[in-house]
Amino acid sequence: MSYGSISMNTTTMYKIPAQNYPIIQQWISPGSRVLDLGCGDGTLLNALAEEKQVEGIGVEISQDMIVQCIQKGICVYQADIDKDLSEWKDGSFDYVILNATLQAISKPYRVIEEMLRVGRYAIISVSNFGYLRNRVRILAQGRVCSHTRMSSSWYDSPVIRFVSLKEFETSLAQMKIDVMDARFFLPLDKVMHRKWPLYNLLAREGIFKLRKDDQQ
Amino acid sequence: MNRIVKTQILEVNRPFLMESGDRLEHLDIAYETYGNLNAAKDNAILIEHALSGDAHAAFFHEGDKKPGWWDAMIGPGKGFDTERYFIICSNVLAGCSGTTGPASINPATGKPYALLFPPITMRDMVETQRVLLSHLGIERLKCIAGGSMGGMQAMQFFCDYPSQVQSFISIASSMKHSAQQIAFNEVGRRAVMADPRWNGGNYYELVPPEGGLSVARMIGHITYLSEKMMQEKFGRIKKDKDAKAIFRPSFEVEHYLDYQGISFVKRFDANSYLYITNAIDNFDLMASISSKERLRGEGRERGRHYDRMKTKRGLVISFSSDWLYPPSQAKEIVQLFTGLNVRVSYAQIATEHGHDAFLTDYVKESDIIRSFLSSLS
Repeated sequence: MSYGSISMNTTTMYKIPAQNYPIIQQWISPGSRVLDLGCGDGTLLNALAEEKQVEGIGVEISQDMIVQCIQKGICVYQADIDKDLSEWKDGSFDYVILNATLQAISKPYRVIEEMLRVGRYAIISVSNFGYLRNRVRILAQGRVCSHTRMSSSWYDSPVIRFVSLKEFETSLAQMKIDVMDARFFLPLDKVMHRKWPLYNLLAREGIFKLRKDDQQ
Repeated sequence: MNRIVKTQILEVNRPFLMESGDRLEHLDIAYETYGNLNAAKDNAILIEHALSGDAHAAFFHEGDKKPGWWDAMIGPGKGFDTERYFIICSNVLAGCSGTTGPASINPATGKPYALLFPPITMRDMVETQRVLLSHLGIERLKCIAGGSMGGMQAMQFFCDYPSQVQSFISIASSMKHSAQQIAFNEVGRRAVMADPRWNGGNYYELVPPEGGLSVARMIGHITYLSEKMMQEKFGRIKKDKDAKAIFRPSFEVEHYLDYQGISFVKRFDANSYLYITNAIDNFDLMASISSKERLRGEGRERGRHYDRMKTKRGLVISFSSDWLYPPSQAKEIVQLFTGLNVRVSYAQIATEHGHDAFLTDYVKESDIIRSFLSSLS
């Protein structure tokens, strides 16, 4: 599968990525420097520039999306998140955002490390593969794909990484990454602020604000 | 819209100071314009040409069938829309298409300058363009754009006079030449100088070093195409299958290079080639703008040009198969300007057309440039 098709689909891949916008906006301090990985058509960066006066830069792999970002006057770099983050100097940004994109990355571990190298904080949204509907579908239908936000077949789906919220948090702990804040999305557009015993079963998505453990 | 255009010559009869400290007593600047300058004089865009280009960037000269070198990009409704913008293009200093260069008459001797022409820099090219802009009554540019060497001029202008330029576009360019790029240019220069007809640069009353210059151009054309494209275009096809004479061009690719070489020497001066490639090799954007001794450019005493660059806009475009000015060099430009707090965007166009793509892949290029220009307030 070519990576080229992945980011092109990021904005359509998730039905309601906009649900994350208010949370991300709330987490970001005004006037900060923001890098948005897989920024799509630049909607989030545009909103952050207007609401929070951030100095934002987007990274996108799709040419069509790049043109749309440029049209909005957004700074955007055509690049492959998996390869090209090493060009940035340490601490170039206050926040590095990976919204609705984690599942499309081939080396998530490396990308997360890079995010916290070039930025002080990382904001990552995770589609929960441990979500009840996914479990039921695998049990009942024996199917991995066509889950809530993954409508394509396994071979051309932009989603190449399947992770549950619990597994993601375990990895963060191993990577010595602090979860500063998190939100969990339940059906019927309910948002949980706290971790709830059954969150890994009932939340279809989580969003995390992270920083390196050694930071003050 | 009338798409017939004529190259104009601006004659400057006051001394022109060059970065080397030399002076030109007289300077001609060849230029063309397309579209109309608006009443607010805020829709001017300066187009910079590459090594072998000229002022004839677009439209047609009377009676010509072939338009200017970037006609695909400049015109009504095109990437650089002449219905919205006033487009200017001038021949570079030391060029040979109307602007003063080594083939021009040296007022001191009454003969062509040849190698008495002072060495030139990218900054000298930019300074001549400022003379032209001031003649045209333009104080501010909406954008300054160019491909290859044109990108270098655009960046130099932008960095030297940030308060006069709203934005820049650098296409298939570099902020300084690598050893490999210098090496290719040097082989080209040596080919010219090894031709006995070059004669230390003094050939203007004799036969010019056409053999040497055409070899230089052939080398250039190899670097302008990608390996894949060359293979697809020519492969191992032979044109004269039963040619008996040994070492005559027989492969298609040989004929192509031969043709490129011959058509180039008809329109280009060998000494101009030496001067301009030398300026390209010596171009080092960061060194040039951070130098404390620089004679030109605004805010040079206290580094105020850096402040004035902040929040200005830039666009960098590269082509995936361009190995002469590879995407990695475009990314260096992006990082440099991002570090200077310029709001720069970067697009890499997927193509098999190599460095030439900046002239041929105009559909994608236009899309990107059109959206960039329309986003400028």
